[in-house]
Amino acid sequence: MAETGVPSEPFTAYRQPVRAEWLDYNGHVNDASYATVFSGAHELVLEDLGLSADYRASHQASMFTVETHLRYVAECSRGQTLTASTILVEADDKRLRLHSELYADGVLAATAESLYLHVDTTTGRVAPLPADRRARVEAMRAAQAGLPRPAHLGLGVGTRP
Amino acid sequence: MNERVTTPYEGHHVDWDPDAEIEAPLRLHRTTARPEWMDYNEHMSESCYLLVFGDSADAFFRFVGIDEAYRAAGHSLYTSETHLHHRHEVALGEPLELTVQLLDHDRRRLHLFHEMRHGESGVVLASAEQLLVHVDMQEGRSADLPDELLGRLEAITAAHAHLARPDVVGRPMGIRRRA
Repeated sequence: MAETGVPSEPFTAYRQPVRAEWLDYNGHVNDASYATVFSGAHELVLEDLGLSADYRASHQASMFTVETHLRYVAECSRGQTLTASTILVEADDKRLRLHSELYADGVLAATAESLYLHVDTTTGRVAPLPADRRARVEAMRAAQAGLPRPAHLGLGVGTRP
Repeated sequence: MNERVTTPYEGHHVDWDPDAEIEAPLRLHRTTARPEWMDYNEHMSESCYLLVFGDSADAFFRFVGIDEAYRAAGHSLYTSETHLHHRHEVALGEPLELTVQLLDHDRRRLHLFHEMRHGESGVVLASAEQLLVHVDMQEGRSADLPDELLGRLEAITAAHAHLARPDVVGRPMGIRRRA
């Protein structure tokens, strides 16, 4: 897939130190804060695909999160640095699905799987991606298609691989 | 901005009343969509839905007896998984009403289903399915719930037994293509 210029590796731009406002009473990153972290990591992928805030302003359309499935693996605390490794699992002309692994100082802390819908913000309805964005999504999907998939991908709550 | 994440129920102790009727589903948390939860276009940020579900979960934990005193004695409930479904946008000032349904439990695990509804129209705005594990915090491993709390969970399970199982429960995520 060298001709698309998209590397055949996970997307790993996200890097953030744990913030004080993410912590709960016992100094650990709160459950809800993981949603903030994964949302930040996924936003960088959407930005790379040309589907972030600028796109919303220029195209009156946006990617909406319809589902997120978080799996908590280990606690993270103050002083640690969070990094994410994301793959584009699948996509069609209106939807895309991302999976991320979140690491705290290199140790797996949580995973998230999110489904996004492309919505025309003037009508509030699901709409197909424009051809150029569809091509970028497809290039990333194809470049990452050979990467290993986590065993829990697409499994419901309480289901272990 | 808070220095850390807090819930509206911190410090609240709830006495279990064995004779009280148990709501099905439980309605333990109501709130109003706050300015600090809004994104730049005045809709609630995706990640704040989980904050609101977390407050409802905290109210539920206190209802069954898991509060600061319980945690100080060494045990707590940890979230193992959360599956969120975002159905509608939430605007500033909208009244939010949360419900909790206990789907299942065993000696160490709880399977919960939360719904967030518009406080006036009753429209479902979002849902969260959660799997929680009772943990011995010192040992860092799962541990059986004490009999007293198991008894309370049995009572809630019995009260919730007639509720329909929501259709999104256990459903895997994916792009479903028309055949």
